[in-house]
Amino acid sequence: MAAELKFAKTHEWVRPDEGGLATVGISAYAVEALTDLVFMQLPAVGRRVKAGESIGEIESVKAVSDFYAPVSGEVVAVNESLPSQLETLGKDPYGAGWIVRIRPDDPAEMSGLLDRAAYDALVKSEQH
Amino acid sequence: MTTAIPLPVWWDDAADGGTNMAADEALAAEAERRGGLVVRLYAWTPAAVSLGAFQKIADARSIPAIADVPLVRRPSGGGAIVHGSDLTYAAAVPKAHPWGRVPQAFYDALHEAMVAALADRGIAARLHVAAGRPAADDGAFFCFDRRAAGDIVATPPNAAPAPQDPKIMGSAQRRPPGVVLQHGSLLLRASEAVGPVARHAGVLDLRPEIALDVRGLAGAWLERVARSCGCRVVWQTASFRREREAEVAQNAVRFRAEQWTARR
Repeated sequence: MAAELKFAKTHEWVRPDEGGLATVGISAYAVEALTDLVFMQLPAVGRRVKAGESIGEIESVKAVSDFYAPVSGEVVAVNESLPSQLETLGKDPYGAGWIVRIRPDDPAEMSGLLDRAAYDALVKSEQH
Repeated sequence: MTTAIPLPVWWDDAADGGTNMAADEALAAEAERRGGLVVRLYAWTPAAVSLGAFQKIADARSIPAIADVPLVRRPSGGGAIVHGSDLTYAAAVPKAHPWGRVPQAFYDALHEAMVAALADRGIAARLHVAAGRPAADDGAFFCFDRRAAGDIVATPPNAAPAPQDPKIMGSAQRRPPGVVLQHGSLLLRASEAVGPVARHAGVLDLRPEIALDVRGLAGAWLERVARSCGCRVVWQTASFRREREAEVAQNAVRFRAEQWTARR
Protein backbone atom coordinates (compact mmCIF):
# COMPACT_ATOMS: atom_id res chain seq x y z
CA MET A 1 0.00 0.00 0.00
CA ALA A 2 1.66 3.24 -1.11
CA ALA A 3 2.35 5.72 1.67
CA GLU A 4 1.04 8.73 -0.25
CA LEU A 5 -2.49 7.36 -0.40
CA LYS A 6 -5.26 8.98 1.59
CA PHE A 7 -8.39 7.14 2.66
CA ALA A 8 -12.03 7.91 3.32
CA LYS A 9 -13.82 6.29 6.25
CA THR A 10 -16.03 4.63 3.64
CA HIS A 11 -12.94 2.73 2.36
CA GLU A 12 -12.11 4.63 -0.83
CA TRP A 13 -8.49 5.57 -1.41
CA VAL A 14 -7.22 8.69 -3.19
CA ARG A 15 -3.86 9.29 -4.79
CA PRO A 16 -2.87 12.83 -5.85
CA ASP A 17 -1.47 12.52 -9.35
CA GLU A 18 0.56 14.73 -11.63
CA GLY A 19 -1.58 17.34 -13.28
CA GLY A 20 -3.62 17.92 -10.15
CA LEU A 21 -5.92 14.94 -10.61
CA ALA A 22 -7.04 12.60 -7.84
CA THR A 23 -7.13 8.90 -8.68
CA VAL A 24 -9.70 6.99 -6.63
CA GLY A 25 -10.23 3.32 -5.87
CA ILE A 26 -11.46 1.13 -3.03
CA SER A 27 -9.17 -0.41 -0.46
CA ALA A 28 -8.00 -4.01 -0.42
CA TYR A 29 -9.84 -4.47 2.88
CA ALA A 30 -13.13 -3.33 1.32
CA VAL A 31 -12.66 -5.56 -1.73
CA GLU A 32 -11.92 -8.56 0.45
CA ALA A 33 -14.92 -7.86 2.69
CA LEU A 34 -17.30 -7.70 -0.28
CA THR A 35 -16.12 -11.04 -1.74
CA ASP A 36 -17.10 -12.44 -5.14
CA LEU A 37 -17.81 -9.24 -7.06
CA VAL A 38 -20.21 -9.64 -9.97
CA PHE A 39 -21.16 -6.20 -11.25
CA MET A 40 -20.05 -2.59 -11.12
CA GLN A 41 -21.55 0.66 -12.29
CA LEU A 42 -19.22 3.58 -12.96
CA PRO A 43 -20.12 7.27 -13.00
CA ALA A 44 -20.26 9.20 -16.25
CA VAL A 45 -17.21 11.18 -17.31
CA GLY A 46 -17.96 14.86 -16.85
CA ARG A 47 -20.20 14.36 -13.82
CA ARG A 48 -19.81 16.88 -11.01
CA VAL A 49 -19.54 15.16 -7.64
CA LYS A 50 -19.46 16.27 -4.03
CA ALA A 51 -17.33 14.67 -1.34
CA GLY A 52 -19.33 11.90 0.31
CA GLU A 53 -21.73 11.53 -2.63
CA SER A 54 -22.38 8.07 -4.08
CA ILE A 55 -20.70 7.87 -7.47
CA GLY A 56 -21.26 4.24 -8.31
CA GLU A 57 -22.40 0.84 -7.14
CA ILE A 58 -20.73 -2.49 -6.83
CA GLU A 59 -22.51 -5.81 -6.42
CA SER A 60 -21.05 -8.90 -4.87
CA VAL A 61 -22.97 -12.16 -5.04
CA LYS A 62 -25.83 -10.74 -3.00
CA ALA A 63 -24.78 -7.41 -1.55
CA VAL A 64 -24.95 -4.04 -3.23
CA SER A 65 -22.62 -1.34 -1.93
CA ASP A 66 -22.16 2.24 -3.03
CA PHE A 67 -18.78 3.85 -3.42
CA TYR A 68 -18.33 7.50 -2.66
CA ALA A 69 -16.41 10.48 -3.95
CA PRO A 70 -13.72 11.23 -1.38
CA VAL A 71 -13.29 14.75 -2.82
CA SER A 72 -15.53 17.20 -4.66
CA GLY A 73 -14.84 17.91 -8.30
CA GLU A 74 -15.39 16.65 -11.83
CA VAL A 75 -15.03 13.05 -12.97
CA VAL A 76 -12.52 13.26 -15.83
CA ALA A 77 -11.84 9.56 -16.43
CA VAL A 78 -13.19 6.15 -15.45
CA ASN A 79 -11.53 2.74 -15.65
CA GLU A 80 -13.81 1.40 -18.37
CA SER A 81 -12.24 -2.05 -18.42
CA LEU A 82 -12.97 -2.64 -14.74
CA PRO A 83 -16.62 -3.78 -14.90
CA SER A 84 -15.64 -6.63 -17.23
CA GLN A 85 -12.49 -7.45 -15.24
CA LEU A 86 -13.62 -7.16 -11.64
CA GLU A 87 -10.91 -9.54 -10.50
CA THR A 88 -8.49 -6.64 -11.03
CA LEU A 89 -9.96 -4.98 -7.95
CA GLY A 90 -8.74 -7.87 -5.83
CA LYS A 91 -5.44 -8.43 -7.62
CA ASP A 92 -4.24 -4.83 -7.78
CA PRO A 93 -6.62 -2.55 -5.82
CA TYR A 94 -4.14 0.34 -5.60
CA GLY A 95 -2.91 0.17 -9.18
CA ALA A 96 -4.77 -1.32 -12.15
CA GLY A 97 -7.91 -1.46 -9.97
CA TRP A 98 -8.33 2.32 -9.92
CA ILE A 99 -11.93 3.36 -10.52
CA VAL A 100 -12.18 7.07 -11.36
CA ARG A 101 -10.05 10.15 -11.77
CA ILE A 102 -11.44 13.37 -10.35
CA ARG A 103 -10.26 16.92 -10.95
CA PRO A 104 -10.68 18.28 -7.40
CA ASP A 105 -12.32 21.64 -6.85
CA ASP A 106 -10.04 22.12 -3.87
CA PRO A 107 -6.98 19.85 -3.65
CA ALA A 108 -6.62 20.85 0.01
CA GLU A 109 -9.79 18.83 0.69
CA MET A 110 -7.63 15.70 0.56
CA SER A 111 -5.81 16.77 3.71
CA GLY A 112 -8.98 16.01 5.66
CA LEU A 113 -8.82 12.33 4.69
CA LEU A 114 -7.13 9.58 6.70
CA ASP A 115 -3.47 8.77 6.26
CA ARG A 116 -2.39 5.15 6.04
CA ALA A 117 -1.81 4.74 9.78
CA ALA A 118 -5.21 6.19 10.65
CA TYR A 119 -6.91 4.02 8.03
CA ASP A 120 -5.14 0.90 9.29
CA ALA A 121 -6.42 1.75 12.77
CA LEU A 122 -9.96 2.14 11.39
CA VAL A 123 -9.76 -1.26 9.71
CA LYS A 124 -8.42 -2.83 12.88
CA SER A 125 -11.29 -1.36 14.89
CA GLU A 126 -13.83 -2.74 12.37
CA GLN A 127 -12.35 -6.20 12.62
CA HIS A 128 -12.90 -6.38 16.40
CA MET B 1 -27.82 -9.69 36.28
CA THR B 2 -27.40 -9.02 32.58
CA THR B 3 -29.96 -7.24 30.51
CA ALA B 4 -30.37 -8.50 26.97
CA ILE B 5 -30.52 -5.86 24.25
CA PRO B 6 -34.03 -5.42 22.83
CA LEU B 7 -34.57 -6.75 19.31
CA PRO B 8 -37.65 -4.90 18.04
CA VAL B 9 -39.74 -6.96 15.62
CA TRP B 10 -42.67 -5.60 13.66
CA TRP B 11 -45.16 -7.86 11.90
CA ASP B 12 -46.71 -5.64 9.30
CA ASP B 13 -49.90 -6.20 7.38
CA ALA B 14 -49.62 -6.77 3.64
CA ALA B 15 -48.77 -3.88 1.36
CA ASP B 16 -47.79 -3.20 -2.25
CA GLY B 17 -44.18 -3.47 -3.41
CA GLY B 18 -43.37 0.24 -3.40
CA THR B 19 -44.67 0.64 0.15
CA ASN B 20 -42.74 -2.39 1.35
CA MET B 21 -39.46 -1.18 -0.13
CA ALA B 22 -40.09 2.27 1.31
CA ALA B 23 -40.76 0.82 4.77
CA ASP B 24 -37.56 -1.20 4.58
CA GLU B 25 -35.55 1.89 3.76
CA ALA B 26 -37.08 3.52 6.84
CA LEU B 27 -36.23 0.37 8.82
CA ALA B 28 -32.54 0.76 7.90
CA ALA B 29 -32.65 4.31 9.23
CA GLU B 30 -34.32 2.96 12.38
CA ALA B 31 -31.44 0.50 12.94
CA GLU B 32 -28.97 3.36 12.69
CA ARG B 33 -30.98 5.48 15.13
CA ARG B 34 -31.30 2.66 17.64
CA GLY B 35 -27.77 1.35 17.14
CA GLY B 36 -28.85 -2.29 16.94
CA LEU B 37 -30.64 -5.05 15.05
CA VAL B 38 -34.25 -4.45 13.98
CA VAL B 39 -36.55 -6.77 11.99
CA ARG B 40 -39.73 -6.33 9.98
CA LEU B 41 -41.82 -9.26 8.77
CA TYR B 42 -44.39 -8.67 6.08
CA ALA B 43 -46.50 -9.85 3.19
CA TRP B 44 -47.46 -8.46 -0.20
CA THR B 45 -50.72 -7.46 -1.79
CA PRO B 46 -51.06 -7.62 -4.66
CA ALA B 47 -48.56 -10.36 -5.50
CA ALA B 48 -45.49 -8.77 -7.05
CA VAL B 49 -42.05 -9.53 -8.43
CA SER B 50 -39.12 -7.76 -6.82
CA LEU B 51 -36.05 -7.30 -8.97
CA GLY B 52 -32.50 -7.22 -7.62
CA ALA B 53 -30.80 -3.84 -7.76
CA PHE B 54 -28.77 -4.73 -10.86
CA GLN B 55 -31.26 -6.78 -12.84
CA LYS B 56 -32.38 -5.55 -16.24
CA ILE B 57 -35.97 -4.47 -16.64
CA ALA B 58 -35.91 -5.79 -20.21
CA ASP B 59 -35.19 -9.27 -18.88
CA ALA B 60 -38.19 -9.04 -16.56
CA ARG B 61 -40.47 -7.77 -19.30
CA SER B 62 -39.46 -10.57 -21.63
CA ILE B 63 -40.86 -13.26 -19.31
CA PRO B 64 -44.58 -13.81 -20.07
CA ALA B 65 -45.04 -15.78 -16.83
CA ILE B 66 -44.72 -12.60 -14.76
CA ALA B 67 -46.41 -10.20 -17.16
CA ASP B 68 -49.55 -9.90 -15.03
CA VAL B 69 -47.92 -8.92 -11.75
CA PRO B 70 -46.41 -5.57 -10.79
CA LEU B 71 -42.64 -5.15 -10.66
CA VAL B 72 -40.72 -3.33 -7.98
CA ARG B 73 -36.97 -2.93 -7.77
CA ARG B 74 -35.27 -3.67 -4.47
CA PRO B 75 -32.32 -1.64 -3.30
CA SER B 76 -30.65 -4.98 -2.42
CA GLY B 77 -28.88 -7.35 -4.76
CA GLY B 78 -29.65 -10.89 -5.88
CA GLY B 79 -32.24 -12.31 -8.27
CA ALA B 80 -35.95 -11.71 -8.82
CA ILE B 81 -38.46 -13.02 -6.28
CA VAL B 82 -42.16 -13.68 -6.74
CA HIS B 83 -43.86 -12.41 -3.58
CA GLY B 84 -47.33 -13.06 -2.29
CA SER B 85 -46.97 -16.63 -1.04
CA ASP B 86 -43.75 -16.20 0.89
CA LEU B 87 -42.68 -14.83 4.27
CA THR B 88 -40.58 -11.77 3.57
CA TYR B 89 -38.33 -10.15 6.11
CA ALA B 90 -36.15 -7.09 6.27
CA ALA B 91 -33.47 -6.90 8.93
CA ALA B 92 -31.04 -4.07 9.50
CA VAL B 93 -27.95 -3.61 11.65
CA PRO B 94 -25.42 -0.81 11.99
CA LYS B 95 -22.16 -1.66 10.24
CA ALA B 96 -20.42 -1.49 13.61
CA HIS B 97 -22.47 -4.53 14.73
CA PRO B 98 -20.60 -7.86 14.43
CA TRP B 99 -23.10 -8.91 11.74
CA GLY B 100 -22.69 -5.66 9.83
CA ARG B 101 -19.02 -5.86 8.98
CA VAL B 102 -18.97 -8.41 6.19
CA PRO B 103 -21.94 -9.65 4.12
CA GLN B 104 -21.77 -13.37 4.86
CA ALA B 105 -21.96 -12.99 8.65
CA PHE B 106 -25.48 -11.54 8.57
CA TYR B 107 -26.72 -14.11 6.02
CA ASP B 108 -25.36 -16.99 7.98
CA ALA B 109 -26.66 -15.78 11.34
CA LEU B 110 -30.24 -15.46 10.11
CA HIS B 111 -30.16 -18.52 7.88
CA GLU B 112 -28.61 -20.83 10.49
CA ALA B 113 -31.34 -19.80 12.92
CA MET B 114 -34.02 -20.58 10.33
CA VAL B 115 -32.52 -24.00 9.59
CA ALA B 116 -32.71 -24.79 13.30
CA ALA B 117 -36.28 -23.47 13.63
CA LEU B 118 -37.37 -25.57 10.65
CA ALA B 119 -35.64 -28.64 12.09
CA ASP B 120 -37.62 -28.20 15.33
CA ARG B 121 -40.75 -28.56 13.20
CA GLY B 122 -39.53 -31.66 11.42
CA ILE B 123 -38.39 -29.93 8.26
CA ALA B 124 -34.84 -30.81 7.28
CA ALA B 125 -32.94 -28.04 5.56
CA ARG B 126 -29.34 -26.93 5.30
CA LEU B 127 -27.13 -24.09 4.19
CA HIS B 128 -25.91 -24.45 0.62
CA VAL B 129 -22.18 -24.92 0.32
CA ALA B 130 -20.90 -23.22 -2.83
CA ALA B 131 -18.26 -25.00 -4.85
CA GLY B 132 -15.82 -22.41 -6.11
CA ARG B 133 -16.56 -18.87 -7.14
CA PRO B 134 -19.97 -18.13 -8.64
CA ALA B 135 -20.26 -17.12 -12.25
CA ALA B 136 -21.20 -13.48 -12.83
CA ASP B 137 -24.82 -13.14 -11.64
CA ASP B 138 -25.14 -16.93 -11.83
CA GLY B 139 -27.14 -16.61 -15.05
CA ALA B 140 -30.57 -17.30 -13.58
CA PHE B 141 -33.19 -14.53 -13.44
CA PHE B 142 -35.04 -15.84 -10.39
CA CYS B 143 -33.44 -15.91 -6.96
CA PHE B 144 -34.81 -19.40 -6.34
CA ASP B 145 -33.10 -20.73 -9.46
CA ARG B 146 -29.74 -19.52 -8.15
CA ARG B 147 -27.52 -21.03 -5.48
CA ALA B 148 -25.09 -19.03 -3.38
CA ALA B 149 -23.18 -19.96 -0.27
CA GLY B 150 -25.49 -19.82 2.72
CA ASP B 151 -28.80 -20.11 0.86
CA ILE B 152 -31.23 -22.51 2.55
CA VAL B 153 -32.09 -25.65 0.63
CA ALA B 154 -34.61 -28.24 1.76
CA THR B 155 -33.52 -31.81 2.23
CA PRO B 156 -36.28 -34.25 1.22
CA PRO B 157 -37.43 -36.61 3.98
CA ASN B 158 -35.60 -39.93 4.12
CA ALA B 159 -33.14 -38.86 1.46
CA ALA B 160 -29.53 -37.83 1.37
CA PRO B 161 -28.75 -34.20 0.48
CA ALA B 162 -28.51 -33.76 -3.29
CA PRO B 163 -27.37 -30.87 -5.49
CA GLN B 164 -30.85 -30.46 -7.01
CA ASP B 165 -32.58 -30.04 -3.64
CA PRO B 166 -34.85 -27.00 -3.81
CA LYS B 167 -33.84 -23.64 -2.42
CA ILE B 168 -36.44 -22.37 0.02
CA MET B 169 -34.84 -19.23 1.45
CA GLY B 170 -32.47 -16.61 0.14
CA SER B 171 -31.38 -13.17 1.26
CA ALA B 172 -29.63 -10.14 -0.20
CA GLN B 173 -28.21 -6.92 1.13
CA ARG B 174 -27.83 -3.22 0.52
CA ARG B 175 -24.89 -1.66 2.33
CA PRO B 176 -25.29 2.11 2.50
CA PRO B 177 -22.96 4.06 4.80
CA GLY B 178 -23.30 3.05 8.42
CA VAL B 179 -25.95 0.36 8.08
CA VAL B 180 -26.77 -2.93 6.38
CA LEU B 181 -30.26 -3.71 5.10
CA GLN B 182 -30.88 -7.39 4.46
CA HIS B 183 -33.93 -8.64 2.61
CA GLY B 184 -34.93 -12.28 2.60
CA SER B 185 -37.73 -14.56 1.56
CA LEU B 186 -38.85 -17.95 2.87
CA LEU B 187 -40.97 -19.61 0.19
CA LEU B 188 -44.19 -20.98 1.64
CA ARG B 189 -46.08 -22.02 -1.51
CA ALA B 190 -45.56 -21.81 -5.24
CA SER B 191 -47.30 -18.66 -6.42
CA GLU B 192 -50.45 -19.00 -8.49
CA ALA B 193 -50.17 -15.39 -9.60
CA VAL B 194 -47.46 -16.24 -12.12
CA GLY B 195 -46.90 -18.77 -14.87
CA PRO B 196 -45.20 -22.14 -14.31
CA VAL B 197 -41.66 -21.00 -15.19
CA ALA B 198 -41.81 -18.46 -12.39
CA ARG B 199 -43.17 -20.86 -9.79
CA HIS B 200 -40.98 -22.42 -7.15
CA ALA B 201 -42.15 -24.93 -4.56
CA GLY B 202 -42.31 -23.65 -1.01
CA VAL B 203 -42.04 -25.35 2.35
CA LEU B 204 -45.77 -26.06 2.50
CA ASP B 205 -45.63 -27.68 -0.95
CA LEU B 206 -42.60 -29.76 -0.12
CA ARG B 207 -43.88 -30.97 3.24
CA PRO B 208 -47.69 -30.97 2.98
CA GLU B 209 -47.98 -33.51 5.77
CA ILE B 210 -46.66 -30.98 8.30
CA ALA B 211 -49.12 -28.45 9.73
CA LEU B 212 -46.81 -25.47 9.76
CA ASP B 213 -47.79 -22.44 11.82
CA VAL B 214 -45.93 -19.71 9.95
CA ARG B 215 -46.22 -17.16 12.72
CA GLY B 216 -44.93 -19.71 15.22
CA LEU B 217 -42.03 -20.57 12.92
CA ALA B 218 -41.15 -16.89 12.52
CA GLY B 219 -41.26 -16.38 16.27
CA ALA B 220 -39.04 -19.38 16.95
CA TRP B 221 -36.64 -18.25 14.24
CA LEU B 222 -36.28 -14.78 15.68
CA GLU B 223 -35.92 -16.11 19.23
CA ARG B 224 -32.92 -18.06 17.96
CA VAL B 225 -31.58 -15.02 16.13
CA ALA B 226 -31.94 -12.96 19.31
CA ARG B 227 -30.17 -15.52 21.46
CA SER B 228 -27.24 -15.71 19.08
CA CYS B 229 -26.59 -11.98 19.40
CA GLY B 230 -27.40 -11.50 23.06
CA CYS B 231 -30.78 -9.89 22.40
CA ARG B 232 -34.36 -10.52 23.43
CA VAL B 233 -37.23 -10.26 20.97
CA VAL B 234 -39.63 -7.39 21.67
CA TRP B 235 -42.72 -7.72 19.48
CA GLN B 236 -44.05 -4.34 18.50
CA THR B 237 -47.80 -3.99 18.66
CA ALA B 238 -48.05 -1.29 16.00
CA SER B 239 -47.36 -1.63 12.30
CA PHE B 240 -43.92 -0.25 11.42
CA ARG B 241 -45.07 1.26 8.17
CA ARG B 242 -48.00 2.95 9.91
CA GLU B 243 -45.76 4.21 12.71
CA ARG B 244 -43.52 5.77 10.08
CA GLU B 245 -46.31 6.69 7.71
CA ALA B 246 -44.94 10.03 6.52
CA GLU B 247 -41.39 8.72 6.00
CA VAL B 248 -42.67 5.62 4.21
CA ALA B 249 -44.96 7.66 1.97
CA GLN B 250 -42.06 9.91 1.03
CA ASN B 251 -39.73 6.98 0.28
CA ALA B 252 -42.47 5.17 -1.68
CA VAL B 253 -42.62 7.89 -4.31
CA ARG B 254 -39.16 6.87 -5.49
CA PHE B 255 -39.78 3.13 -5.35
CA ARG B 256 -42.99 3.46 -7.37
CA ALA B 257 -41.41 5.67 -10.01
CA GLU B 258 -40.69 4.17 -13.43
CA GLN B 259 -37.31 5.91 -13.28
CA TRP B 260 -36.36 3.64 -10.36
CA THR B 261 -37.97 0.43 -11.54
CA ALA B 262 -36.55 0.73 -15.07
CA ARG B 263 -33.18 2.17 -14.07
CA ARG B 264 -31.40 -0.77 -15.66
